[in-house]
Amino acid sequence: MALVMIRVRDLVMRLASGGRTVTILDGVSLDVAAGEVVAVMGPSGSGKSTLLGLIAGLDTPSAGSITVGGIEVTGLGETALARFRRRTLGFVFQSYHLIPTLTAVENVAVPLELAGASRPLAAARSRLAEVGLAERADHYPAQLSGGEQQRVAIARAVALAPPLLLADEPTGNLDSATGAQIVDLLLGLNRERGSTLVLVTHDVTLASRAGRAIALRDGRVVNGQAA
Amino acid sequence: MNRVAMRLAWRQARGGRRHLAAVFACVALGVGALVAVGTLGAGLAATLAREAKALLGGDVELRAARPLPAEADAAVAELAAARVVRVRELVGMARGGARGDSLLVELKAPGPGYPLYGRLATAPAAPLASLLADDGAVVQRELLDRLGLAVGDRLVVGAVTLTIRGVVEAEPDRTASLVTLGPRVFVSPEALDHSGLITLGSRVRYRVLVGLPPEAGAGEIRASLARAVTDPGVRIAAYDEAQPGLRRFFTQLTSYLGLVGLASLLVGGIGVAASVSAFVARQVPTIAALKALGAETRTLIVTYVIQTQVVALGAGLVGAALGVAIQPLLGAALAGLVPFALELHPEPWMLARAIVMGLGVTLLCTWAPLASVRAVPAWLILRMDVEPAVWRPRARWTLVPVALGLAALALWQAGSLKTGAIFVGATAAALLGLLGLARGLALVARRLPRRRGLAWRHGLTALQRPGGHAPRVVVALGMAVMLLVAIALLQGVLGRQIDHEQHRQAPSFFFLDVQPDQREPFARLVERTAGIPPVLTPVVRGRLVAIDGERLTRAVVDRRKARGEEGAWYFTREYVLTWTDAPPAGNVLTHGRWWTAAEAAAGPRASVEEAAARHLGVDVGSRMTFDVQGVAVETEVTSIRRVDWQSLTTNFFVILSAGALDGAPATWVATARVPPSAEAALQNAVVAAFPNVTAVPVRDVLERVGAVLSDIAVAVRLVALFTLGTGLVVMIGALAATRSQRLYESVVLRTLGATRSVVARAFAVEYGLLGAAAGAGGGLLATVLAWVVARWVLEAPWTFDAAPVVVGVGATVALALAVGFLTTFRLLGQKPLPVLRRD
Repeated sequence: MALVMIRVRDLVMRLASGGRTVTILDGVSLDVAAGEVVAVMGPSGSGKSTLLGLIAGLDTPSAGSITVGGIEVTGLGETALARFRRRTLGFVFQSYHLIPTLTAVENVAVPLELAGASRPLAAARSRLAEVGLAERADHYPAQLSGGEQQRVAIARAVALAPPLLLADEPTGNLDSATGAQIVDLLLGLNRERGSTLVLVTHDVTLASRAGRAIALRDGRVVNGQAA
Repeated sequence: MNRVAMRLAWRQARGGRRHLAAVFACVALGVGALVAVGTLGAGLAATLAREAKALLGGDVELRAARPLPAEADAAVAELAAARVVRVRELVGMARGGARGDSLLVELKAPGPGYPLYGRLATAPAAPLASLLADDGAVVQRELLDRLGLAVGDRLVVGAVTLTIRGVVEAEPDRTASLVTLGPRVFVSPEALDHSGLITLGSRVRYRVLVGLPPEAGAGEIRASLARAVTDPGVRIAAYDEAQPGLRRFFTQLTSYLGLVGLASLLVGGIGVAASVSAFVARQVPTIAALKALGAETRTLIVTYVIQTQVVALGAGLVGAALGVAIQPLLGAALAGLVPFALELHPEPWMLARAIVMGLGVTLLCTWAPLASVRAVPAWLILRMDVEPAVWRPRARWTLVPVALGLAALALWQAGSLKTGAIFVGATAAALLGLLGLARGLALVARRLPRRRGLAWRHGLTALQRPGGHAPRVVVALGMAVMLLVAIALLQGVLGRQIDHEQHRQAPSFFFLDVQPDQREPFARLVERTAGIPPVLTPVVRGRLVAIDGERLTRAVVDRRKARGEEGAWYFTREYVLTWTDAPPAGNVLTHGRWWTAAEAAAGPRASVEEAAARHLGVDVGSRMTFDVQGVAVETEVTSIRRVDWQSLTTNFFVILSAGALDGAPATWVATARVPPSAEAALQNAVVAAFPNVTAVPVRDVLERVGAVLSDIAVAVRLVALFTLGTGLVVMIGALAATRSQRLYESVVLRTLGATRSVVARAFAVEYGLLGAAAGAGGGLLATVLAWVVARWVLEAPWTFDAAPVVVGVGATVALALAVGFLTTFRLLGQKPLPVLRRD
């Protein structure tokens, strides 16, 4: 097996909700190799998004460990986590989460600026060109279509060329034709850069284009084989 | 990292224009109030310094209630190259016009060379000596207006008939006491001598004004004169220490005004905190996204701090400009109190301080909202539907450093630990009171019956709208109402205190200098004219020369006086002494007992007023020696009295036992109370028959005091208006922050069939209740504040008038309705479908 990018062991996540505790992830273990494309599938509430969020260090698990690129994510503090996210991964959300007060190019420039890149706006412009949005660079999110917004979000996620790209239902808010374009874009970027891509989806067509699918149900992995 | 923060700050500001505009307005108004007061204070100080010589009349002034002793004349004569002007001033009666009306005036007879400093402006512009020659007079225009005279007419003063030759428009050394007794009349020294007003017992102020060559030090000359002139009755002042009373008054005025200004900055702080927390609440998804993208919390907080500080700096500069710009208004309000052109004198240090205060208050008030930036978890981006209560920290303790910081700023502004501490305590109490009221209002709103129709029900529930806009508005507006209503209440307290109608026992007139041979005819005249006989009290003027056998020289007075110049006054003043067998009605003995007939027969006994006794350091058993026309009268103090000076009746600092002053040259003081309609006739009849008698019309003097008080009230109110402005900005900000909720509600209501007018009425209920709560809370606190100030600061008897409170509540409701509708009326016109689709 190639170099391991993500190693998850016995991951448990419980959340308090309405006075009772809900177990969202119940002992998940998996490995993702560097350069692999993995689809995480499962019905709503199966814990897909939570898994992705925990890999990104957006929250702390109740138990278990996560290693990304050799770094033990669960052991990092707030500031170290921020640095880790900046250097190691890009994140694409179902509902884009662009910053409404920034133009497209400024949105893409945010991670570049946070990392102290030189000429961040110029770099952001060329990233936008890569996703085919050079013409729309100075528009605000509200002036862009859903597909365009998601492309801006992808450009932002790959702005620093991270070795790992996480995508949470990237096509969930889009019609099927636009969704297909977005998937092409993600896979294309993955091929060009040789980065690792983990995407959460319940779209079987999308999952079939990944190298491997992991199915979650009730917080457990029900299959982990190559597709 | 800071470069990133700067750039983010700049871009993020786009999303919060409305919130940052509110921050800007709040800080600008707060800083504006501080600068307005600071500039006024600096201007007053600079003007006093510039005009010091003119105000004193010279580099050095000697002043006494008797002709200067030979030692003083000799000391002045020895001064090399000094210019010397002698001036006499006294209060007397002037009479003139076809109706023979009379008027209390302040006479002044300057010798040649007057004025040494400053310019005496007269119309026509001619040398004063030429205007006053041959029994000429130059008068203030007020005299012409009140007696119906014109230049060229005759004016009778005592035994001389003068011709009015001109009008005095500006007098450099017009006594800088805030209240004058009557208009000025300039006469020549010869005319004053002929008037017959300068007799035994008349109250003349003898002044010697000394102009020194530029190289002479006024302070040294003053000191050497003070050594040479041992008589403490001669007051000697150099220009740079002149007008201590006026200085103290201005210092106190600006210090109190400064607190009013600080209050408006603190109300601004509420607005800042509210706006920034609304801004941050809107930014939560962005903050979560930025964190997910790898932004460190520190970068984000620095971003928001830069943003708000830049806005506060800009606002501070604009506020400073505003504070300087309203100086003409403040100057106009105080024109009656400041006898010279007020200098506009913005000090860089003071401006910088006010701006720093604005920055400091902004930083402190953004502390808590920015703390919640830290708390926003990155995972929120995956579960935006999670209630903020789950992740938002309990912010109670974060407020402790904020409160401490604000208290420190308040102490810095107040400049005194005690005043600052009182201010901080009062503000904290007011804030907590208003907050409690707002909470109570929400609680009551929840319990009130909801049956009164949709608009009422909806307006009531809107008070509990999430985001807590109700407490904010009630606190901010309530503070402003408190200040404005308290000012009105205190003005009422002081106004009633000096309202003649309120003093049923107070006389209409004090008649001074009734001579022994005039006593009988005077009493008959008053009884015939007014229908009631006057109350006559014999008085003898004397000076305190020794206490317990120790002669009061200047050196002894300097050692004994405990409380500065005010204390010295008790040692050096001319005492008006009287004698009685029994304590006067209304006086209360606090120590010792009244003398018996046997004790009085054995030797002179004295009863001393308690404040005078305290300043003089005398008590029962002390011996006080008075110089009465050259005769030493040694008395033994047997009692200390409390006098109600507010009663406005004849009262004395020192009362002697009968027989103590036998043989001394007495004059009589008379009082009479007549109906207001009979006052003019009585005064004119007395002055016509007895030209030497001075009639002090109590009502008139009280009205002059009242005019001064209302000038002060206007100035205080001007500064308090800044607080009201800030309170309104807070309200506008709070309504803007709830705009989208309000829009959604109004649209949903209308989708369900409500008319626009129902929605408008629901808004009206909400705004009206907010205004009523702020008005009632502010009014209640104002009453408490005014009571405390009246009781402890002004030491005035408390009287309550509900009118300012009622007006305050009504005006606040009206204002809240007006501002509410101006801010939200556009929501009523929105088409529902686009709004619903957007959601």
